[in-house]
Amino acid sequence: MNTSVGYLKRDDTREMVEASLLDEVSDSHLSMWEASWSPAMQSFCAGRPLADRPQDHHWDWRRKAEGLLPLLGYHSFALLCQNELQGLMLINDLKSARLASQFGKPLAYVEFLATAPWNRPEMHQRPRYRGVGTVMVGAVVELSFELGYSGRVGLHALPAAEHFYRDTCKMTELGKDAAHQNLMYFEMTENQAEAFRQRP
Amino acid sequence: MKLNYSKQWYEERIALEGDSEVGAGCLPAKLENIEKTNVTFVDTRIALGTFVSLWRRNKGWDAARLAEQAGLDPQEILEIERDPHCEPEADAVYKLSIVFGVPAKPLLELAGLIQPRTAGLREEAVRFAARSESVAALNEHEREAFEAFVAAISESIPLKK
Repeated sequence: MNTSVGYLKRDDTREMVEASLLDEVSDSHLSMWEASWSPAMQSFCAGRPLADRPQDHHWDWRRKAEGLLPLLGYHSFALLCQNELQGLMLINDLKSARLASQFGKPLAYVEFLATAPWNRPEMHQRPRYRGVGTVMVGAVVELSFELGYSGRVGLHALPAAEHFYRDTCKMTELGKDAAHQNLMYFEMTENQAEAFRQRP
Repeated sequence: MKLNYSKQWYEERIALEGDSEVGAGCLPAKLENIEKTNVTFVDTRIALGTFVSLWRRNKGWDAARLAEQAGLDPQEILEIERDPHCEPEADAVYKLSIVFGVPAKPLLELAGLIQPRTAGLREEAVRFAARSESVAALNEHEREAFEAFVAAISESIPLKK
């Protein structure tokens, strides 16, 4: 298991703080999810109608990790900061690109990406840390390069996150995917990945 | 895999991220989309929920026991049983089919997770849901409807293309 140093921004002090990105979700990370992340999510959702709950409210990360990680082609990442789990991501490297300019070429596909409940502006007026999405997209881009996929990335964004992938990460929007719950499908090209690696 | 971005890179990128939500994956419950585009699944999901409820009651199980057997969250079982606007996850339906001992495909069809392929399933499901009342124990009428539906699922015939 490799650990990389990344940075998140504390919302209260505006400080940049070191975070650890581990390229394998372990049982201890899943235990952290069960001990703090999942109860925080359940607490937020209690009494709220389904439509008002976060769109990933009942993702069971233990089930996803235990079901998918033994399979060929799956990679997982856990982001920790100050001994707390801040984000999780599962990636599949067996998918291929749909965008005409890179059609059929392999890419790193983000199966699931989520940030911890306490980092979400939609759940807390003062989220604890900002930047989980940035670290995770940086990670999948680097994984794509490491796999020899030249930075190509694909994902289906949850509706509330479309803005992030379209306008912040500058990924190409390929339209709503009827075969995937009508979620917007995005791809990052080789050039877009190189641009993402540069300072904005 | 190693990250090699500078602290300044993070600072500038995080400023751009701002208050954005960042989730990617699939929706657990897409209420708005269902209401706009998938209204037709509501009646089959009612049948699916009724089937799940009757199956466990027929066994004398509560939702927690069924959840334990299927490796699911009890809340997920209750949402499948009670909320036809909630789209179950495909692996949850698959696990339930294993516990129930019936083919997964008809259940996935009822959940609206795959395109309808089974002849007469929708009609059978609506008929089944209409005959079933949500009461504590199965009465003879419900048991008859339940057994007929299990047979319909188990002997389902794919639609001709």
